[in-house]
Amino acid sequence: MFQYTIRRILLMIPTMLGITIMVFSISRLAPGDPVSMLLGPEATLNTERGTEIREAQMRQYGLDKPIPVQYVIWLKHIICLDFGQSFKHHRPVIELIKERLPITVSLNLIAFTIIYLVAIPLGVTSALNHKGWFDRGSSLVLFILWSLPTMWAGQMMIGYLCSPEHISWFPPSGLSSNNADTMAFFPWLADRIWHIILPVTCMTYTGFAYLTKLLRAGMLDNLRMDYIRTAKAKGLSTFVVIFRHALRNSIIPIITIMAAILPAMFGGSLIIEKIFTIPGMGLLAFEAVTTRDYNVIMAVATIAGVLNLTGLLLADIAYALVDPRISFEGGE
Amino acid sequence: MGSKSTFFKFFVVVTLVVLLIFQILAMKQSDRLYERINKLQKDMGNMSFSSGNGSPASSSDDSKAGDWLVRRIGSEPPTLNPITYKDLYASLICGSDGGNNIFETLLTYNYDTAELEALLAESWEISDDGLEFTFTIRDDAYFSDGTPVTSDDLIFAYETIINPEIDAANLANYYKDVEGYERIDNKTVVFKMSRAYFKSLEMLGGIPVIPKHVYQFEDASEFNQNRADPVGSGPYLFDKWDVGSQIVLTRNENYWGSKPNFKKIVYRVISNDKAALQALQSHTLDVLSVTPEQFVKYSQDEEFCNNFHVISYWNPSSGFTYVGWNSESRFFKDKLVRQAMTHIVDRDAINEHLFKNLFRVTTGPFFFMGHQNNPEIEPWPFDPQRACELLDEAGWKDTDGDGVRDKNGVPFNFKLTTVSANETGEKMCLLIKDQLEQVGVIMELDPYEWSVFTDKLHKREFEAVTLGWSGALESDPYQVWHSSQIEGGSNYVGFNVPRADELIVQARATIDPDKRNKLFHEFHAILHEQQPYTFMFNRKSLVFIDKRIENVTIHKLGLNSKEWYVPQDKQRYH
Repeated sequence: MFQYTIRRILLMIPTMLGITIMVFSISRLAPGDPVSMLLGPEATLNTERGTEIREAQMRQYGLDKPIPVQYVIWLKHIICLDFGQSFKHHRPVIELIKERLPITVSLNLIAFTIIYLVAIPLGVTSALNHKGWFDRGSSLVLFILWSLPTMWAGQMMIGYLCSPEHISWFPPSGLSSNNADTMAFFPWLADRIWHIILPVTCMTYTGFAYLTKLLRAGMLDNLRMDYIRTAKAKGLSTFVVIFRHALRNSIIPIITIMAAILPAMFGGSLIIEKIFTIPGMGLLAFEAVTTRDYNVIMAVATIAGVLNLTGLLLADIAYALVDPRISFEGGE
Repeated sequence: MGSKSTFFKFFVVVTLVVLLIFQILAMKQSDRLYERINKLQKDMGNMSFSSGNGSPASSSDDSKAGDWLVRRIGSEPPTLNPITYKDLYASLICGSDGGNNIFETLLTYNYDTAELEALLAESWEISDDGLEFTFTIRDDAYFSDGTPVTSDDLIFAYETIINPEIDAANLANYYKDVEGYERIDNKTVVFKMSRAYFKSLEMLGGIPVIPKHVYQFEDASEFNQNRADPVGSGPYLFDKWDVGSQIVLTRNENYWGSKPNFKKIVYRVISNDKAALQALQSHTLDVLSVTPEQFVKYSQDEEFCNNFHVISYWNPSSGFTYVGWNSESRFFKDKLVRQAMTHIVDRDAINEHLFKNLFRVTTGPFFFMGHQNNPEIEPWPFDPQRACELLDEAGWKDTDGDGVRDKNGVPFNFKLTTVSANETGEKMCLLIKDQLEQVGVIMELDPYEWSVFTDKLHKREFEAVTLGWSGALESDPYQVWHSSQIEGGSNYVGFNVPRADELIVQARATIDPDKRNKLFHEFHAILHEQQPYTFMFNRKSLVFIDKRIENVTIHKLGLNSKEWYVPQDKQRYH
């Protein structure tokens, strides 16, 4: 096990190099550069002095060197965990990420918790009620939800649930009210919850179908197994049979999904963040791409890459922990 | 490994711990941002600096003071530093566009007369040759921490702008003709220009005066990283920045001039247009700029009009839109073809159909109510007949009978380069495409993402292009129209008429406004004749404002939020 983990971690290094080289070259080869993106077409950089200033800035950011050299310099810094400065914000990239990460992670944690809390009981009930009205009804509803595009649903929610012309139950944007500062803790918390209900709804509703179906299939498989019949025959209560025996064996595929959650939590959702004006990672990455803020792009891509690989590794280890049949020891 | 319940417990504990860690991180982060502010506030000692809880009694006029003004910004500006900012939203918050909220300039435009008048300056003098500008700073002007505004602050601001290590290249370019300055005394500075230029006074008078004792730096990157400090000479001070959600300015209780009415100005970041309109309707926002469609829809709604001021006005800074014809392309070399294009595009119909007649067809680059504009020039009328004659005369005839005009075997089929993802722009281009097709000219849309688009402009790789220029009360046509600006400048279309060059150079150096405007009128006539652009529209500013705000009047230069107020009984925030 230990050996396996070490080997996997060592294998992550060439993979990461590959990822960063890809992202680095794609971002540099795209037309435009941060200096001219910031100055815009109306900037009057047409004089000799203007060109001088422009070149000085390119030099200052190290953008005048050939791309492979720039990559090596970037790599040298990244090994010391220095993500560099944002060209647009003139601040260390890590600071920008620190500002936005808590928001994205909090929202995603809430959303995933809700998804699991809803999907697991729903999957179990569906499996027990196989081909019954609840099973069919919930499938229908879940698939309808699954196929609604978030972009459309978000706009509809803002249009109909936040509008004085229709139902004005929720605020249309942001994370807090204008006078949130003057509130005491509990009104503040209520205000915050009131603001995140719609974005969190948008983040969760598409997730139900996938998890529920996965769990339902697993449960159905397991319920047909001999050991379940044995357990029932032993006289164990239905509750114990279902939750201790069937569910535990059905939960393995769910772990795979958890591996994907880690990077998703970091990356955030551009669409939802844009619609509801939530200052999270998705918006930061999007703005970085549109302004060619290379260091921010690279930082987000690198961290997301590391988390992705870590997630996969954790999932594999978790398999071994949960399922005694899987083992990484011994001969291959 | 454990039973199902321990697995669940583990999950809950991990969730809570991670949430807690990030909450602490977030708090720490905002602490760091305000560390400097706290330090500065401490430095001010016993000055009556107050943030937010200032008593309204200290204000000049009790009945009008109080409440907040909540405005929208579409995205968060990277900085509120008055020298390094580059985006529109920062200029609304801390620049002169927003009315000098935090920092002030020496001179400012009067909203009614549209003439320059003194703000921080007590007086100014211009030498007869227009090369020496003497500014005297007011004796009673001081920064919010109590230090008086002096010539050193002004000189520091100027030196910072032109420092090549400071990230203010676009601003520095305006001051390239300044030869030097002389500090006469504590309150007086003389700037010397290397040549006469009609906008010198506006440029020099527009230097944002920043407090040297707060902003002085050893290392340029220190200044470049500075985002906002709560010290300025303006009526409002920077108070709070909630990353990605809002920026708050609070009233400067130490303001040297007459105190403003609103206790706070809150700029909320709302990226979604629809959400912004909803926020206005649910009274979370007070002021919102809207599109022509929204404007027409809501201005007919009686209930809406009872709750909101529905306002439209001409604003010189909103500029004009155009379709530019690249004079180096084989299609648009000939001015007859360019004239024909203008005759084919039915600008009145587009205005009516797309912009509900809220825009105005324009004939040139100057603000139509300003003195530079030649009032005698009428827009070329919509006249397909005349357009066909012009195209025939230029040699573009349909010789092979396929319905498309051609010349020397080349069909008249060109590409219009546009910025992608601009819905209204796209609709306008489709209308133009239809109109051109009727006279046998094929136009294809060629949309690009912004960065690629600007790249194409700079390399002049386009046949026709559509874009807009922002304007000013008095604008300088040099950058866009002088032939020296074809390479590397903004004269993308390659406009090159020697007489126009002469006029531009001459007018720029003419200090006497009447003589200068005569030259601009002639230049305007040449543009009208040559049609390097088909000038499209002047855009009206369309705004909805919450009705609890009173005294909203339209001036020659638009709206002045400093005179707005909310009567005591209608105030919403305290």
